[in-house]
Amino acid sequence: MTFDLFLGCVIPARLPFLEASSRKVFEKLGIKLNDVEGFSCCPDPTGIELIDHKAWLALGARNLSLSNNNGGIISFCSGCVETLKGVNYNIRKDSMVKDEVNEILKNIGKKYDGTTNVKHFAEVLYENIDKVRENVVHPLNGFKVAVHYGCHYLRPSEIINWDDPFDPITIDEIVRALGADSLEYELKMECCGNPLDKSDKDISLKMIDNKFKSIQESGANCVTLVCPACFQQFDFNQRELSKDKEVGYDFPIFYLSELVALAFGFKPEELGLNFHRVRTSSLLEGF
Amino acid sequence: MPIINFEFRNEVLKHNASLSYCYQCSTCSGGCPVALITGGSYNPRKIIEEAILGLQDKLVEKQEPNPWLCSTCQTCVELCPQKVELTEIFTLIKNECFNTGNVPEAFVAQGRAILENGVAIPYSKAIISRRVKLGLPSIKTASPDEIQKILKITKFEDHIPKEGV
Repeated sequence: MTFDLFLGCVIPARLPFLEASSRKVFEKLGIKLNDVEGFSCCPDPTGIELIDHKAWLALGARNLSLSNNNGGIISFCSGCVETLKGVNYNIRKDSMVKDEVNEILKNIGKKYDGTTNVKHFAEVLYENIDKVRENVVHPLNGFKVAVHYGCHYLRPSEIINWDDPFDPITIDEIVRALGADSLEYELKMECCGNPLDKSDKDISLKMIDNKFKSIQESGANCVTLVCPACFQQFDFNQRELSKDKEVGYDFPIFYLSELVALAFGFKPEELGLNFHRVRTSSLLEGF
Repeated sequence: MPIINFEFRNEVLKHNASLSYCYQCSTCSGGCPVALITGGSYNPRKIIEEAILGLQDKLVEKQEPNPWLCSTCQTCVELCPQKVELTEIFTLIKNECFNTGNVPEAFVAQGRAILENGVAIPYSKAIISRRVKLGLPSIKTASPDEIQKILKITKFEDHIPKEGV
């Protein structure tokens, strides 16, 4: 099984440790990831698309046109997946959009026919869940995980076309396959608030504060997620929220690939877990 | 008094015809996490109502309610019984805001980064050395020339004022 790897911007250029754990996990599973030259920003569905929809379509289609691999594109980022699946959706449902996009791409000597398939890395993990289970050498006993799916992994379901948009199961099942518990909490399906960081920081922080309150009530001892925007909101902003509180939050934030890699026997040092803002060591004795 | 702008209304409808299906049931606002936190001052139903009525001055100039408070969580899109594609419609409204320049600065900065580098975050020296330590390969991203050509043709670059001007 081979995919073309679409890295995007945030993970490789700001959070490369998330890339490290993801690459290791897929290598261990025997799933080959091709590095492709010449990708640009996906572009960001919560940023660039809001400046100009047509430029978003054209840049997205240009990226999709660079993949010629049978398995299509895989990405470690929910935002990239939403953009690339969204561009496909627009091009496939409306031939006028497809023509318009190709008219633009002609100027750089490229064309896109709409046939590149796109998958989120958690999709591929779930499709290979038996193989994931077989590779566990260090079960995550004692990990009480609050799963945060994040919006763009699921919605709009007509475009993402994967898990249930309000009652998803895939990441919970992967977490359980690693020997950890997945705990329910009231605000599990709420947005983390990250995209509002650009327009209203107070509202953005209030949204993540509410999530942490709900996670605290559930008795979870860590969080897992699959989107670098969510990661920054949960990890970087957790300290900021705790500043004004008597007892602050202290939840290690694990990318799903990090949990899988730990269960596969990789060491915290080789995964770069020391680059997290919130310490992860409380759960990692013996790893 | 609000001014009805038929041209604006037609433009929204042309961009996304699902606007015309809305019967103002307010399911969108009931499910919206930002409406909840702002006590209803952010209100997706109201934005759709103003778009149906063609109230460009309210939406694009005064920004009441402020379309930039949509977190793009897509909950409203999923819940809408009429399959109105609210987030798509909000995208067009925000694109229109860029024509007037009445937009949060952080979006302009992100647009400028793409225009200059082809990626939203350029690779700093510190990150390049961190990548090496983590055993990660070096990444060859798009040539900015090619990206700039697309951003010129689509007039994206017109929305990004030159720095310091």
